[in-house]
Amino acid sequence: MTPAIRVEHLTRRFGAFTAVRDVSFHVEKGEIFGYLGANGAGKSTTIRMLCGLLAPSEGDAVVAGHRVSREPEAIKWRIGYMSQKFSLYRDLGARENLEFYGGAYGLGGRRLRRRIAEVVELTDLAEVRDVPTGELPGGIRQRVALANAILHEPEIVFLDEPTAGVDPVSRRAFWRLIRHMAEAGTTVFVTTHYMDEAEYCARIGLMVAGRLAALDTPAALKRRHAPGTTWHVEAPAILRHLAALRRLPGVVEATAFGRGAHVRVAEGAPTGEAELRAALAAAGVPPTLVEPVAPTLEDVFLAVASADEQAAGTAAAWEDPA
Amino acid sequence: MSAALVRLQRLLIRVGALAEKETWHLVRDPRALIMGLGVPVVLLLLFGFGVRFDIADIPLVVVDYEQSARSRDLVRAFSANGEFDLVGELADAEAVEPAFRRGRAAIGLVIPPDFSDRLARGEPSPVQLLVDGADATSARQAMGKAEVMAQAAALRFVGAGDLAQAPPVDPHSWIRFNPTSASALYLVPGLTGLILAMMGVMLTALAVAREWEWGSMEQLFATPVGRLEIVLGKLLPYLVLAVLQVLLVLAVGAWVFEVPVRGSLPLLALSSLLFMASMLGQGLLISVVARNQMLASQVATVSSMLPTMLLSGFLFPIENMPWPLRAAAAVVPGRYYITTLRGVLLRGNGFAELWDQQVPLLAFTLAMVLLSTARFKRRLA
Repeated sequence: MTPAIRVEHLTRRFGAFTAVRDVSFHVEKGEIFGYLGANGAGKSTTIRMLCGLLAPSEGDAVVAGHRVSREPEAIKWRIGYMSQKFSLYRDLGARENLEFYGGAYGLGGRRLRRRIAEVVELTDLAEVRDVPTGELPGGIRQRVALANAILHEPEIVFLDEPTAGVDPVSRRAFWRLIRHMAEAGTTVFVTTHYMDEAEYCARIGLMVAGRLAALDTPAALKRRHAPGTTWHVEAPAILRHLAALRRLPGVVEATAFGRGAHVRVAEGAPTGEAELRAALAAAGVPPTLVEPVAPTLEDVFLAVASADEQAAGTAAAWEDPA
Repeated sequence: MSAALVRLQRLLIRVGALAEKETWHLVRDPRALIMGLGVPVVLLLLFGFGVRFDIADIPLVVVDYEQSARSRDLVRAFSANGEFDLVGELADAEAVEPAFRRGRAAIGLVIPPDFSDRLARGEPSPVQLLVDGADATSARQAMGKAEVMAQAAALRFVGAGDLAQAPPVDPHSWIRFNPTSASALYLVPGLTGLILAMMGVMLTALAVAREWEWGSMEQLFATPVGRLEIVLGKLLPYLVLAVLQVLLVLAVGAWVFEVPVRGSLPLLALSSLLFMASMLGQGLLISVVARNQMLASQVATVSSMLPTMLLSGFLFPIENMPWPLRAAAAVVPGRYYITTLRGVLLRGNGFAELWDQQVPLLAFTLAMVLLSTARFKRRLA
């Protein structure tokens, strides 16, 4: 089966700044592909290139069977795009926005009305469809944008930070919709910086400073980049004592996590619960909690990002270039 | 249905959707409607009443060195019919210039001590007219009027029977189409062109720039909508608004300033449509290039007002300009529209006389649409 998206050595420069550097991967049809990274890591730039909105400086990508370098217009018929910033018309209601964008995709008449009714139902917008979108709260607004992106039944949907700044309940509802779409056969390419959301993705690409630093399923990423045992440790003012933990033999990483810290210990190292407790007690802060936990994608991300920074010797650019 | 028909149908759906959406924006934002329909009328009233080229009550000072019955007769002849307003008598011609400087007077009549004697001897009897040239237009008109009056007075003094004194050539001017030389009749067509140019360019100048500022351009670019479709979709709703503008402004011109419509109405309609399309096209081009509303509105004002005011024949005849300015005037749409307006409104012209003015308007419109489309970047950077 040919992949929905095939990216080959994609590079984009803005002047002297390289936003995306030699990125290659592919996305299978019907897959939820997560694209993770800090702000400015090149996520939006990649999406814009894949949507035909931005020409690649080097490399190319095949999206829905068309090359972005040569046939960006052909791609636009077959994809849906939800930009990071809400970019529908704020003075128009959801229904008017949908009518307009439906028309922009050449939909009209009964077919357009039927599709609008379907997406309004799917995204639960019936009650607010005539309120100007500028007056809607963020969570609902994102649903309007999603309804708009899937109105013309695209094969691939690109969602750029669809849940940024949205409350947890709305985020969960939003991800139910994404999974629903994928089950119906739509390929979903989604960027996020919420690591818990990334767990929903079939595969994840990790972007660090414009480069694709890791790519795999969440489970495989954890096995490879967060091997050993991860301990969740809670103690008073633990952030000031991370250095003491790092000095223990076999400790690969000790980073803040929630109210405590995650300490990752290499396979077979002589550091366990007793040693962690002793080290903190010696530092004057006996821990209130030490327990083994499954590593999260955040652990993976921190491991990959710090390894990459050491390798590249550069810090990530934190500003979004666009 | 053939593939071409399907493509055309889709294009029409897309342009229609764009035009409909643009209309919703207009209806949602009454400011745009007020600007589009109210401002032109207000401008026409302001300019129409405010700008006058025909002058009356020119302040006149008199220096009468003779103080005779004849000389007083001459002064009365000057001040009798309202053209000049006698504001004072001065003892010395030296005092006239200070009166100009203080703005008390704009014209001075100096009658020499031998005024009546020379007349009695049948000799030419010169009087001196001093005119404040700081305001050249007024000065020229004042001088013209004063000369006419002096001559009329002279004829009376000499007596109609004395044929030897009658001027050998006696022109009788007959000004057609604007019999009283009322400046409203002359001004309103030009003003109409100027106001419609400014409003037309402004309407669309914001239309594309706004979408860049809103961020909606990115979403629009993600759809298969083409550049020409965006340009047409933006143009059409504003063309409807612009036609309403034209009707409103011409109606105000007809009712308030009593500007007649003597010529072909279909030509007036066609020319107005072409002119507004050309102005909207110019606005679109500005909008496409500027990408922000502030810059776009400034460029729109300057690029519509200055050429239409200076190079359209509205204020200054194009024939008298040096060739570089004449060449520049050739690409000012307002010039062709104002010519058409004057022709249709005042002279009663139709297609036969004015078709050649419509061709450049059509060419300009097409050029603007094509340029806007070409300069439209379908990609973000």
